Amino acid sequence: MTTLWDTTGSAVVKALSAERRAAGALAFGLALTLVVVVDEKNVAAAENAATAAAAAHPCRLLIVVRRQIDAPHPRLDAEVSIGGRLGPGEAIVMRMSGRLALHAESVVLPLLASDAPVVTWWHDEPPTRIAFDPLGVFADRRVTDCASAPDPLAALRLRAADFEPGDTDLAWTRISGWRTLLAAAFDGRTDRPSSATIEADQADPSAQLFAGWLRGKLSVPVDVAGSGKRGIQAVRVAVADGEIAVTRADSRAGTITRPGVPPRRLPLRQLDVGDLLAEELRRLDDDAIYAEALSAWSGVPDLTRRSGHREHIWQDPMEQPPTAAAAPVSAETGPASAAAESGPVAGGGD
Amino acid sequence: MAPTAGGNPLRDPRDRRLPRLPDASALVVFGVTGDLSRKKLIPAVYDLANRGLLPPGFVLLGFARRDWEGHEPFIEFARECAEKGARTPFREETWDRLASSIRFVRGSFDDDAGFDRLVQELDSLESSHGIVGNAAFYLSIPPSAFPVVLKQMERTGLADEKTAGGWRRVVVEKPFGHDLASARELNSLVDEVFGPEDVFRIDHYLGKETVQNLFALRFANTLFEPIWNSQFVDSVQITMAEDVGIGTRAGFYDETGAARDVLQNHLLQLLALTAMEEPVSFGAETIRTEKIKILRAVSLPDDLAHYAIRGQYEQGWLAGERVRGYLDEENIPPTSTTETYAAVRLNIETRRWAGVPFYLRTGKRLPRRVTEIAIGFKQAPHLPFDATDTADLGHNQLVVRVQPDEGVTLKFGSKVPGTAMEVRDVAMEFLFGEAFTEALPEAYERLILDVLLGDAMLFPDNAEVEESWRIIDPLEEYWAGTKPFTYRSGSWGPAASDEMLARDGRRWRRP
Repeated sequence: MTTLWDTTGSAVVKALSAERRAAGALAFGLALTLVVVVDEKNVAAAENAATAAAAAHPCRLLIVVRRQIDAPHPRLDAEVSIGGRLGPGEAIVMRMSGRLALHAESVVLPLLASDAPVVTWWHDEPPTRIAFDPLGVFADRRVTDCASAPDPLAALRLRAADFEPGDTDLAWTRISGWRTLLAAAFDGRTDRPSSATIEADQADPSAQLFAGWLRGKLSVPVDVAGSGKRGIQAVRVAVADGEIAVTRADSRAGTITRPGVPPRRLPLRQLDVGDLLAEELRRLDDDAIYAEALSAWSGVPDLTRRSGHREHIWQDPMEQPPTAAAAPVSAETGPASAAAESGPVAGGGD
Repeated sequence: MAPTAGGNPLRDPRDRRLPRLPDASALVVFGVTGDLSRKKLIPAVYDLANRGLLPPGFVLLGFARRDWEGHEPFIEFARECAEKGARTPFREETWDRLASSIRFVRGSFDDDAGFDRLVQELDSLESSHGIVGNAAFYLSIPPSAFPVVLKQMERTGLADEKTAGGWRRVVVEKPFGHDLASARELNSLVDEVFGPEDVFRIDHYLGKETVQNLFALRFANTLFEPIWNSQFVDSVQITMAEDVGIGTRAGFYDETGAARDVLQNHLLQLLALTAMEEPVSFGAETIRTEKIKILRAVSLPDDLAHYAIRGQYEQGWLAGERVRGYLDEENIPPTSTTETYAAVRLNIETRRWAGVPFYLRTGKRLPRRVTEIAIGFKQAPHLPFDATDTADLGHNQLVVRVQPDEGVTLKFGSKVPGTAMEVRDVAMEFLFGEAFTEALPEAYERLILDVLLGDAMLFPDNAEVEESWRIIDPLEEYWAGTKPFTYRSGSWGPAASDEMLARDGRRWRRP
């Protein structure tokens, strides 16, 4: 492990190749780079999750911590390790302060594994527009987590308005297990159901995406009804001969109920963030099903037809109060942008 | 409206997050207390359950002679197997869930009452677990027991899909006969009771990730296919080496030998996948079509004395331990002429492979356990360097490592840094575990899942089995009455095998 204080991007690149040489054969066959954007206070949690995901899908791990943007002098501290505390692969933790934090890409770009896909994950509240963050612009896949925003549903609405193919949100990943069980319960049935209910808190973004998915696939009204408990508790679909339901039994299992068949318990694990991230790294193409569910929930049409391309939009948080940035997606009013193109942003978020 | 699959409105082929789950069904294992079942089948079923790949209505039903009352002793037995053999971590909750769908039926194969109980149990599972008549029967039993078990199934109508109201499939393990005639007999016996399309012959090598990666390597890339022919390929070596001896399989092994045990199935399947033409689509039927074409085109050399070598291990040292010779193993007659090593040169009579020898070898008590396919390329037709510059340059090689360290190695010449022009071989490695994930699924997991899904892509069919025996039978005939060469345990086989390649101006690759 090499730790560099008050250093430069070039020194980090050199330290990485020195570490690679020392580690010998370990450094072959990189299939992707994972860029993690995280606040100082959540570094440990993000590191743990990224390490767990990197163990399942070996990658180069670049953790970017931006802090004290108002510091008078720009500064970069970095920790480079291979096969150390951050899992078996290559990992670099970079802390950037001062104006450098706004130009993180200048350090990160030369560190990307050559010609391999890049996944950027924002551990904390997602950016209002991904185009504002250069670390998202060059990524092939972008992973956000609306659940970590103060208002998850508003954040999810922003995701819909700002959507480009290749974006996904962990709120969607959290319901893969639910969708698997519900789809399994529907196997062998050809009839169309009449309505569906999801028992979950109204403000749960996963429940809302689940509802969007069901509305799109089944063309039936779907209610999200509060249950008082955290997370999704059950999904019930009314069919001609009764009800098909998946209910959470405990933190690891769910129960499938179908008309005429005894109930069955099947695995339905509550995944931690590391597992969720690992699922995201499994496939690097865009997720059209997510786009359709997001579109069905938000009412923003034709998300799948967007280009998948973004240009960086210069936005200086120092010149704009952060509260203003959080509001409208149509905030193309920022100061003279370096990259004038703002990319396609479809109309209102609701 | 988004496309849907099989009528289920929630299934979408683009939705890659949802795993494909089989229909509600029962997996009935005959000989469930045997070695294979303990070490592979039960752990694989547990792993599938743990990965959430089993359907809501799934039942594991064991059938064996054990004097067990009720289901409990079997559940306890299965738990031990799963704890010992599973790849995924053992979790109490997963186990409890699976245990609630494990059943046991006591009976021997010639016992009518036992089979009647089996039928009743399956019927009752229909209402208690909703398996709607779907069942796969795994015959983890010696081939000699096949006829009687199949007769019982016929008698009780277990194989009859119409009365069952669902699908009925049968899974057969190797050996598929011991020569062409016996294979045909066995095939027609199984096909008669089940339809040919409901018979799944397991060759667990085909369930391995690396073997399936051969398809990706060859047919998803532009880089390799253009040079995958006699114009560029000098020779192909397919090796399956084991460091273990015959273990407790003395009786079976002494009757079988290395050629029937490994060459006839695993090595010929690997050869077929390496040499076959591109299938018109990626499906069971189309892939079988291409495999059978290659197997039909395989020819044996005229000079079997020099190109079909067999050996038997003597005592020696292996991995720091002294090991016994084959003739000193328990229950092996001291006069046995069974081979524990076989090496053979095959040709493939097609335009693509004319003149390219395929060297196949397998053996026990070799220095290490390794299976690999090595494609050796021809020397560059002209080298503009001094002969001394390229003295260390070998053939370019592409090696597919099937196990262990699953991956691909490419060997090519590179300049040695320095003032002189000196070219030497270097290797470029791709390791599955490094680039993708460390938890490769076990072959049996994939194959059991495919049986339940009814996907026959990774299973050789009748014609392939019979064609393989057509290749092996003349070898066995030639070897009958001869004595195998001997080789020391812990060496790479008999000297005659090295001479076989030396005669062609080549040498075995050290895996």
